[in-house]
Amino acid sequence: MGFFSRFLIPNPSPVIYSSMVAIGVTVLLIIVGLTHFKKWFFLWSGWLTTVDHKRIGIMYLISALLMLFRGGVDAVMMRAQLAVPDNKLLDSQHYNEVFSTHGVVMILFMAMPYIMALMNFVVPLQIGARDVAFPRLNAVSFWLFFMGAMLFNISFVIGGSPDAGWTSYFPLAGNEFSPHVGTNYYMIGIQIAGIGTLMTGINFLTTILKMRAPGMTLMKMPMFTWSALVTSIIIIFAFPVLTVALIMGTMDRLFATKFFTMTDGGMDMLWANLFWVWGHPEVYILILPAFGLFSEIIPTFSRRNLYGYRSMVASMVFISIYSFFVWTHHFFTMGQAAYVNSIFSITTMVIAIPTGIKIFNWLFTMWKGRIRFTVPMLYSIGFIPLFTIGGVTGVMLAMSAADYQYHNTMFLVAHFHNVIIPGVVFAVLGAGTYYWPKMFGFMLNERIGKWAFWFLTIGFCLAFFPMYITGLDGQARRMYTYSESTGFGPLNMISFIGAALMAISFVLIVYTIYYSIRHAPRDVSDDPWDARSLEWATHNPVPEYNFAIIPQVNSRETFWDAKYKGHELFKGDYEKIHMPNNSGGPFILSCIFFVFGFALVFSIWFLAIIGLIGIFVCMAHRSFEIDHGHYISVEEIIETEAKFGGVNKWK
Amino acid sequence: MEIDHSQPLEYSTEQNRLNILGFWIFLGAEIMLFATLFASYFTLVDRTGNGPAGAELFEITPVLAETFLLLTSSFVIGLGIHAMRIGNKKAMLTFFVITLLLGLGFIGFEITEFITYYREGATLQTSAFTSILFTTLGTHGAHVTLGLFWGLFIILQVKKRGLTPETANKSFIFSLYWHFLDIVWIFIFTFIYMKGMT
Amino acid sequence: MNMKELFPAKQVWGFVFSLILTFVAILVYFFNMSKATGMTIFILTAFIQAAVQLVVFMHARETDDSKSIFMTLYCAIFLALITVFGTILCMIWGWSY
Repeated sequence: MGFFSRFLIPNPSPVIYSSMVAIGVTVLLIIVGLTHFKKWFFLWSGWLTTVDHKRIGIMYLISALLMLFRGGVDAVMMRAQLAVPDNKLLDSQHYNEVFSTHGVVMILFMAMPYIMALMNFVVPLQIGARDVAFPRLNAVSFWLFFMGAMLFNISFVIGGSPDAGWTSYFPLAGNEFSPHVGTNYYMIGIQIAGIGTLMTGINFLTTILKMRAPGMTLMKMPMFTWSALVTSIIIIFAFPVLTVALIMGTMDRLFATKFFTMTDGGMDMLWANLFWVWGHPEVYILILPAFGLFSEIIPTFSRRNLYGYRSMVASMVFISIYSFFVWTHHFFTMGQAAYVNSIFSITTMVIAIPTGIKIFNWLFTMWKGRIRFTVPMLYSIGFIPLFTIGGVTGVMLAMSAADYQYHNTMFLVAHFHNVIIPGVVFAVLGAGTYYWPKMFGFMLNERIGKWAFWFLTIGFCLAFFPMYITGLDGQARRMYTYSESTGFGPLNMISFIGAALMAISFVLIVYTIYYSIRHAPRDVSDDPWDARSLEWATHNPVPEYNFAIIPQVNSRETFWDAKYKGHELFKGDYEKIHMPNNSGGPFILSCIFFVFGFALVFSIWFLAIIGLIGIFVCMAHRSFEIDHGHYISVEEIIETEAKFGGVNKWK
Repeated sequence: MEIDHSQPLEYSTEQNRLNILGFWIFLGAEIMLFATLFASYFTLVDRTGNGPAGAELFEITPVLAETFLLLTSSFVIGLGIHAMRIGNKKAMLTFFVITLLLGLGFIGFEITEFITYYREGATLQTSAFTSILFTTLGTHGAHVTLGLFWGLFIILQVKKRGLTPETANKSFIFSLYWHFLDIVWIFIFTFIYMKGMT
Repeated sequence: MNMKELFPAKQVWGFVFSLILTFVAILVYFFNMSKATGMTIFILTAFIQAAVQLVVFMHARETDDSKSIFMTLYCAIFLALITVFGTILCMIWGWSY
């Protein structure tokens, strides 16, 4: 019993117990369902072993939506707890667990994979390629993310959730103040997922640099691809910092090292410093692809090409490198001298400039355009004013002296949600709708989608704008309750109503998907939005090889030119196409990582060593493996293309 | 896969070129990894708590031995790649084996070094300084150790399958890894040991 | 086996130069130079030796991808320096708590 007692939840509650039951039942249902419908082989051969960027993208998307549910439930719980003073819904311990998991889940397991989903699906198609540079590595990236997320997610039913915030500062995150395993889950779960992300960065940078279709110079790339390029650069240089920080945090907790301790020379602030050296570039990893997506959607639905292509590119390149110069603004109040704060204050304020240039360029793109108010366009139009408000509050926070008033109040919470939700969430929801027909072969219902948009937007405003006021009035963040005499009650109640509206919007989004699966017609054209870039020059659904013939690129809007200006996109004859083989390696490797991570969380050393050996065995096997892929013959291509009506068929 | 015979073997296919570029980018990420360790080292170097400082621990002889072994191994693997390019499989394998033996020697000295520090009261858990010292040296040493196994696997593959575009590509990438570890060692040698002893 | 063929001059001179640079760094230890002089010598010898490795041994300039490779390296080194010096600035030089 002693060995098993470590898996008990230190602070259980009825909600946690019912979740345990729900998880158990769901897993059972999945296993029974797969067996009954005889889908194990289909699951293994089509999805668990796939190296196809399109399928990997879809798996990221499904994971992100599941995590959006979890993170959203956390959010509603928090808002419900704070809706009235002295509420008893969540006690302080559970409130801590909820806001910690909310932050980690929403940023690392919802927003990141949503972006990875779109990057994976769209970028190879946009550059006219047949897959990414390293398809096998791409699968490893997904499965490592998935296993890291799963490891983190089971914490609240086995062993206990992390509860030291999504930033997990030391000394709170150390063994003295967080003795149970929750923070181990944090350190190790995020580490495993982070390795996957780093691999993605390397993969996509190589892909975009080397695998563009002939004629596509860097300055002819679509904007989403540009954003994927700069995002990959940020990932490559930022994630190793997190890797080291997490290793040091893990070692402090598991091996009694003295990196961040209060004794023996440890320096707790070093954690905060390293975390944010990674953390600030991380938020740009989130927002730059969002900017890229808006740059695809807005021109399509304004029926104009993007205004100021060069300055859009320059601003994103500038932001990506510059994002590494501002990190100290996350801890202005925590011990540096005033002159250090001043330096970072100035660098932080500068980064608003290229962002502002982008906002103006999007407005100029819409100016005198013929705007169609589709769901993706609504999200884009909503983004512009709301993100701008969030951005300017960022400049307020950037003033280090003033930040002594704002830091760790609800003002800060309002700011970052104000940039992430209208920025990232609107972008991925809008782009999810935009690319849905290309991914799944049918359109999402516009009417329900518009209801979801309005519930989300109004809910967002109601939820977060009051927080600016309560923050200035002194309401601190990460506080599980407040007394009536503070006067925070009425505005917090409004926030709760806003959160409820956002919850309804999530239900509507799910309903949109369900309704569309049931009722949407499946004879959608390849190019339902009359779009401008190469990913739309593919069939519905996109065949395994993407393009039967690699396209010839002549301009920034090659597909538009092919439709309306007579450019010939696909020249020449079919040739046999080389494609990579599926492989069980990535999935198996990631399962072993899960076991290894789980063992470390609970300090089960013999299992951890077995897991580590398993990982090395997988790597050795890969080294000796001979796998030359397979060829798709010309006959097969002719057959597939004939089913779809051949190339160049939209003319 | 189409083979371009005008290029050296390791670059001769499209996938080969992708692999090499991808690995250089990975090395860029590794530079940031070690930079973070160095940043932490410089922050914690004087935080010795109740334990010893670098000046008390470091000795010139093992450090010079380690440096010479690794530097020479980097030179030897360079010769190995050159031999590969002129098609001399036997010389290439000989040079690769010598490289790994020198690397093994390096690890031997480093393990002895760690044991010596342990006996002198500097353990991983003694202070912030010793924690970051062992972690930085240990991360480099773990990379070298991984390299010994990886290099061995490549030697076995070249022996069995000969010099093909795939094996040449793997050997070249391994050599990039090995040279990179020598570069990291140069910085460790200079800014941890030399700086600590002066 | 032709010795000249197996030991190309460029590689041999690269190795010798690396040994010399290492030796120069060691001189700081043996001659007890001042902190400032020592640091300058350390920085110069370390970075030059790194450059020798990159160009002579790692064939960084050889292919069409050399532009991408050098851009990656410049970015990495630049951001590495920012991280190292920014951390030291916040945690030591500018630490006032």
